[in-house]
Amino acid sequence: MATDRPERKISVESGDGFWRGQFLAMASPCEVLCETDAAEEARRLTELAAAEAWRIEDKFSRYQQGNIVDRINEAAGAAVEVDTETSQLIDFSVTLYELSAGRFDITSGVLRRAWRFDGSGNFPSAALIEKVMRDVGWDQVTWEAPVLQMRPGMQIDFGGIGKEYAVDRAAMLVRQASRASCLLNFGGDLVAIRPPRNQETWKVGVETVDASSSNAEKLLNLAVGALATSGDARRYLVNNGIRYSHILDPKTGWPVSDAPRSITVAADTCTQAGMLSTLAMLEGARAEAFLDAQQVRYWCNRGVTGPAAEAAKIA
Amino acid sequence: MKMSERRSITGALAAATCTLLGTSSPEPVQAQEEPGWDFNTALLYYGEDNDRVQDLSLNVLARRTFTDDRFLTLGLTFDTLTGATPNGALPQSVPQTFTQPSGRRTYTTAPGDFPIDDTFRDSRVALTAAWQQPLGRLSTINLGLSASGEFDYTHLGLNAKISRDFNNRNTTLSAGLAFAMDDLDPVGGTPIGLTPMRNADNDDDDDEGGNRGPTESKDILDFVFGVTQVISRNLLMQVNYSYSDSSGYLSDPYKILSAVDAVTGDVVPITQMPGIDGPSHLNYYELRPDSRRKHSLYTQAKYYMDGKVLDASYRYMTDDWEIDSHTLELRFRWPLSDSRYLEPHLRFYTQSAAEFYRPSLIDGDPLPEYASADYRLGDFDAITAGMKYGWKTGGGNDVSVRLELYKQSGNVSSSQLIGNQLNRDSYPDLNAIIFQFAYRFGM
Repeated sequence: MATDRPERKISVESGDGFWRGQFLAMASPCEVLCETDAAEEARRLTELAAAEAWRIEDKFSRYQQGNIVDRINEAAGAAVEVDTETSQLIDFSVTLYELSAGRFDITSGVLRRAWRFDGSGNFPSAALIEKVMRDVGWDQVTWEAPVLQMRPGMQIDFGGIGKEYAVDRAAMLVRQASRASCLLNFGGDLVAIRPPRNQETWKVGVETVDASSSNAEKLLNLAVGALATSGDARRYLVNNGIRYSHILDPKTGWPVSDAPRSITVAADTCTQAGMLSTLAMLEGARAEAFLDAQQVRYWCNRGVTGPAAEAAKIA
Repeated sequence: MKMSERRSITGALAAATCTLLGTSSPEPVQAQEEPGWDFNTALLYYGEDNDRVQDLSLNVLARRTFTDDRFLTLGLTFDTLTGATPNGALPQSVPQTFTQPSGRRTYTTAPGDFPIDDTFRDSRVALTAAWQQPLGRLSTINLGLSASGEFDYTHLGLNAKISRDFNNRNTTLSAGLAFAMDDLDPVGGTPIGLTPMRNADNDDDDDEGGNRGPTESKDILDFVFGVTQVISRNLLMQVNYSYSDSSGYLSDPYKILSAVDAVTGDVVPITQMPGIDGPSHLNYYELRPDSRRKHSLYTQAKYYMDGKVLDASYRYMTDDWEIDSHTLELRFRWPLSDSRYLEPHLRFYTQSAAEFYRPSLIDGDPLPEYASADYRLGDFDAITAGMKYGWKTGGGNDVSVRLELYKQSGNVSSSQLIGNQLNRDSYPDLNAIIFQFAYRFGM
């Protein structure tokens, strides 16, 4: 992605009563649906959203050299002083680390060295996982804002939060810049800024995780607020016929078992929705119980079977 | 330490997000599912061997989702039954002639065969409607109506169930109540119990004289109390107690008992007057008590392991007719891929006989208070073994096919058998095949 970054351009086309601005950011197709009479305004708002998405991608992508994440990861044990925005993202991640008792951990990205979720049967050895796990654990990091210091070999990665943060940030800018009703969709992470004028809600399809099917399984009505989805439609590993989700438990270094195929959560902001769907995934079989306790609206897709789906059936 | 689902992190997460984004969200989220219909359809064939009952049944269940977790479910079932069913009389070494339930004709059974009434033919239409909605945050209420009609039987039922989640939704308690009013209008009128089978009158008018009574009815009241508990990540358990009280006409108007000689055990022959068409042997219409109280305890466990599901259940039922039954059922859901699964199914059933069950009445003895030779009230064991195969279509719809074999074999206590009966079959064993095709789709 760093080597052949897609060209940064936006396109705006006319839809059925709205404008659709499109661009690519963070390896995802992004769109801005804008209910406005003026094409110019739609273009201006799309540019605004795209600029923010690209700014965040440049600043926090682990694939780009020279940014703050790269400097931290290449510090080889040296202390690195970070700017205010990075400091806020780290503080947020620390809060999530604590709320999840260590299951949300921005140092867990190095597990990628062991696990490759490409639908193949390549399975790492326990010894390799154990070796990589030595470099995982926020408790090994010294963080006294704004200074961060890690052992050589450790890395941080904002991949678990970046897209949700970007769409929330972009939505804030668009909301301030215009009175138009807009829906921002960054690769499935959505924020509805205002309800559409001509109908009560935005209609959002929650994709099935069956990668062979493009059918939208459920249609959701979103008036305002955010939706985020965690799932493994395309990212998984099959070994001895068992499908492992791409959700790795930083506590063990192994994929979470019995996780739903996908979870979509509705919340006031995409950051909240994304964190809840990620933490629910990490709960595996108890994902639904966890989400029930959070009192949020959610949609779990367990494919063929699952305890909660069955619980509903026999109750 | 395991992250506990008992703790809500919503507040802490909202505060952290507000700090990160430098502002709180201007408006709370408003997201709901688009209302839609979900259809479950099934075509089921049930066929008993030896030309006994064949049932073809079409089932459509349509569920409409409304906003705020409210659901309307409508069901339609259409059944056609044909074939024959044992009438309760014993096989003999000579042909036996019986009057049809209509009272217009007779039918004759070959020596050695279980007498079966092959005039059995019916269609049934059943409708159900149910409404489900939340009551507050943790409770759900279900209200339902059911009605069915067939040639000689109508049913009208009402039901209500309330359930409430506790313990962070790891525990669900439910209580339900159902009431049904059923009316019977048997072909040829309702026979009066423990009177001899009438002669055929050979005319087509509907006079119901002699030992035929009027239309009958029964009422059924059911209560159920249940607990569903998530035991662990992998284990879900359910326990239900149910009580059922039936009152009214509970006999089967088409079932009879043979009256036999106290020494030989042979059915007592009747010499018919010339020109009279009627039974060749002495038979009595059955009579059951006019009330029945059942208690049953049901327990189910579902165990999940890497996508596979083992579902085991056991039911104990006891009633004041002295029938005790035990049902053990096992299902194993075995995913073959992301979209296909196999599900083997085994069911074992055993029941003791009703206290008034008897293979025959003894000619000359005083008539008992109640008597039935209906094989369904006897002491029998049954086993069902089957396999279901299910898959998801490219369009995301669910399809399944199911094939099951059913085998029922009864035991009549030798103390209830007399003379020649000991050398003949006294219980009509049953083998059946079940095939189902099911298709589920949304709109």
